[in-house]
Amino acid sequence: MRKAMILLVGLMAAGAAYAAGADTHQEKESEDVAGYILHHVSDSRELEIEVPLSRNHIPIHLPEILIPLKAGACEKQMTDHGEVVPSLGAGCLDLSITKHTVMMWLAAVLLIGSLLIWSNRDKTKLVPRGTGANLFEMLVLFVRDELAIKNIGKEEGPRYTPYLLTAFFFILFMNLLGLFPWMATATGNLAVTLALAVCTFVLTQVAGIRSAGLGGYLAHLTGGVHWSLWFIMIPVEFLGLFTKPFALTVRLFANMLAGHIVIFFLLGLIFMLGHPAVALVSVPFAMGIYLLELFVAFVQAYVFTMLSALFIGMSVAMGHHGHEHAEEHGHGEGAHSHDHGKAHVLGS
Amino acid sequence: MLLPNVLAASSFVEVRPGLIFWTLVTFITVAIVLRAKAWGPILSLVEEREKQIASSIEAAKRERAEAEKLLAEQKTAIAEARRDAQEMLRRNQQEVEKFREELMAKSRKEAEEFKASATREIEEQKSKAIAEVKAMAVDLSMEVASKLLNERLDDSKHRALAEQFVQGLPVKQGRA
Repeated sequence: MRKAMILLVGLMAAGAAYAAGADTHQEKESEDVAGYILHHVSDSRELEIEVPLSRNHIPIHLPEILIPLKAGACEKQMTDHGEVVPSLGAGCLDLSITKHTVMMWLAAVLLIGSLLIWSNRDKTKLVPRGTGANLFEMLVLFVRDELAIKNIGKEEGPRYTPYLLTAFFFILFMNLLGLFPWMATATGNLAVTLALAVCTFVLTQVAGIRSAGLGGYLAHLTGGVHWSLWFIMIPVEFLGLFTKPFALTVRLFANMLAGHIVIFFLLGLIFMLGHPAVALVSVPFAMGIYLLELFVAFVQAYVFTMLSALFIGMSVAMGHHGHEHAEEHGHGEGAHSHDHGKAHVLGS
Repeated sequence: MLLPNVLAASSFVEVRPGLIFWTLVTFITVAIVLRAKAWGPILSLVEEREKQIASSIEAAKRERAEAEKLLAEQKTAIAEARRDAQEMLRRNQQEVEKFREELMAKSRKEAEEFKASATREIEEQKSKAIAEVKAMAVDLSMEVASKLLNERLDDSKHRALAEQFVQGLPVKQGRA
């Protein structure tokens, strides 16, 4: 293992030295590192397949889908950044397939494929066999028992388990996919995490309305205080509704993005400092961060799912709370779980 | 590379509506597909297994309790049987003893009776024999007397005389 590590580091260093030696414009190279990193973690309209130890990229152009909401709104405009597709505000809905879309689809296909393989086992045998089936079942049981049932409760938990399982595995697969060469992390994109958080948000509201009724749901927005204070409470509660998905969005996005930037930056350090010996330090560090990223991929999938379950659980509890203590119209238990939830969001 | 510059220059904080759309479509599709094809079967399998394990444990507990109850019952039954057997044995011995004693008593009595009747018989036979011997003695003495006297006397007179004589003989009453 140790020898393998040393060999790997040596190879990396040699590669770095080669790259550094081949480059005659070292100054330009070190300035390009930031741009290179940003280019790599951002979404783009084409897939670039890099060929190792060469400067060639094989670009795959992805289909461009532009839906004009107003006639002629999607005319491309020439700016100093090149061709730019008009924004949604200008009336052009841009549904183009991008790098992150492709990665997301790849993750979805891998997820569905692997789950179909491992869930379609002999139905008469209740005990799972093999690593895949056991691993999946372990994770499924973890999500069901530790996330769904613990946060939502024994009665309502199983109803939301499939959603939580899908969220967990979908995010996990997208996170892990970004750790493979030539792949990208779709969860390192704000749009993706925003859409996922919107799903949790909608489900949370549906769960609230479902368990408390529309009246109870709206009453909850008043915070259960005297009507004269409603003009304070309603904006606060309303804002509270949106802080949760916002927290979900930003946490997942920032965590997934940051790890990749750190890895790229550590490797970019070799080129910025312009000496191959830097690889001896930065490559092991990058490997450490890579392993950390592997861990973070699981942790962030877990955190997203856990917070989703927590929010849904709070909404569900709102209904039970409303039914059981209707006459008190207090905020007792609900307020506690609410505060707890907020503390959790802020703390993590 | 200051942070504001990076944020301004980069596209990674840009939120593309298209990507939101595709994420929603993909996520909802994946959720529906997995719900139907994966989570349903896996969760039902897991629940079935949990139920089976729970029922197996329950059944094992019940069977164990039953077995313990049975064992206790068996033990008491065996103890009872043993006690009964001992009781029976004791009673039997008593009965046998009693029976033996009864038998002994009976046989002793019978033997006594037999002995008594035998003695009586002997007594009878003896007295008969004695009477016979006496009669014979009378006859013999009469013959002897007649021969001695050579004179024929009145038979009945003689006989009375002889009997008188015999009666006067000392009776030897010996045992046997």
